[in-house]
Amino acid sequence: MIETGYVQVLTAFFLVALAFVLSRIKSIPVEKEMAFGSVRTFIQLIAVGYALEFIFNSESFYLVLLSVLIMLLVASYTAGERARMFKGGFIISFISLSVGSLVTLGLMLALRIISPEARYIIPLTGMIISNSMNAVSITFDRIGSDLKSNRLEVETALSLGKSWRQASSRFYRDAIRAGMISILNFMKTAGIVALPGAMTGMILAGVSPLKAVLIQIIVAYMLLSSVTISSLAAGEIVIRKYFNDVEQFTG
Amino acid sequence: MTPCQDTVIIEARNVSRQVTANGNIKKTVDNFSYAFHKGNIYNIIGPSGAGKTSFLRLLNRLDDPTEGKILYQNNRLESYQPTQLRKNISLIFQEPYLFPGTVGTNLEFCKSDCTQNEIKFHLERVGLNFQFSGKDVSELSVGEKQRVAIARSLILKPEVLLLDEPTAALDPTSSQTIERLLLSLIKEFCLTAIMVTHNPEQAKRMGGFTLLMVSGRLVEDGETAELLTNPKTESGQKYIRRELK
Repeated sequence: MIETGYVQVLTAFFLVALAFVLSRIKSIPVEKEMAFGSVRTFIQLIAVGYALEFIFNSESFYLVLLSVLIMLLVASYTAGERARMFKGGFIISFISLSVGSLVTLGLMLALRIISPEARYIIPLTGMIISNSMNAVSITFDRIGSDLKSNRLEVETALSLGKSWRQASSRFYRDAIRAGMISILNFMKTAGIVALPGAMTGMILAGVSPLKAVLIQIIVAYMLLSSVTISSLAAGEIVIRKYFNDVEQFTG
Repeated sequence: MTPCQDTVIIEARNVSRQVTANGNIKKTVDNFSYAFHKGNIYNIIGPSGAGKTSFLRLLNRLDDPTEGKILYQNNRLESYQPTQLRKNISLIFQEPYLFPGTVGTNLEFCKSDCTQNEIKFHLERVGLNFQFSGKDVSELSVGEKQRVAIARSLILKPEVLLLDEPTAALDPTSSQTIERLLLSLIKEFCLTAIMVTHNPEQAKRMGGFTLLMVSGRLVEDGETAELLTNPKTESGQKYIRRELK
């Protein structure tokens, strides 16, 4: 059984010191980020812990909704930063992430696989939004870089009378696939290379491994659904930004 | 002129294209007016950065003019569906891009329902035998790639071929083979060809008409033999003396 208290957390801080010293010896310029990140993790997670405790106890629907909205806004901002080459990155991210996560979550609630309680909705939504955010960021990045570096291929297709969709379909598919690679790899190796985070957390908290596994399987399927929907939505909206109404490549 | 050469197929009227690059505004094409007749070959010559390629891109509608208008068969380019227009006015790039796969799949890319006979016919038109159809594009020489690119455009049955320095990457022998091929295709199918070239000698071999562009402007035009031996403008004379950079 793991003892969990502030004393244990502060004791575990020696691992940060170890990483700090090692990077210093090897002159890897990450000391500042490491120090800042360690303290930030501590403060952020403690604050979140108190906030969740409060929300779970209050059982307020509006607070749950607000939490989901905050998660979506922060994730959209982060993913949108990857889309600086065109306007509206934040909005596109917000739409894509909302569609992906809310459809997934809505289906799970409608099918009564998860119950509409804050203690389920908030952590699950956090996981699916976070994974979808990474997928959307990669999709943005990949579409932009692939189209720009393959301008001749795109314009050759257009010059031969193909529509913008036909000219860009290969890049759309590749970008979506790149966005999904992380979740696909996770599903391939789940439980073999490493125990998934949620499952590890449950086992550490005392839940039986069998029950933890079943919950983890549901989580994995939710992640797959949300990542797929969000990447497809983001790709669909973003790729259009590189072409105008008269089938010209504007990227 | 032969009977097919008396109709105007493309007309540029006061066409300009202005672009902003690195904060600087530049006219890549400046007040360009000219009528291209069906079935002729037109060489566009001029120093680097004269706007020759930019002008071809406007005809294929990969870009639009910022001023003026371009007519195709007496209608503005904007009145056609871009996808259909580009099949009628086909652009062949300086560096031919062939899609990964075989020569055959590249021809099918343009016309998904094309038969093996059509592929054979079009490959033979560009001097390649049917065996090339199954060849992977990565195995082709630059000259063969350019021929496949021409065959790929021809399968669309275009009326106008836009050629952006199609022999720039070829050795002199391959270059002249492509020139002869183009001349025979133009004659046989009454195609209109508008070809950008850096090489006045090539323009002479191609014959037809020549347009000299300098700084985005059309500064002189006329029959190729006349323009290249006895240019009337100062720019034309400088170009012939290779004094235009």
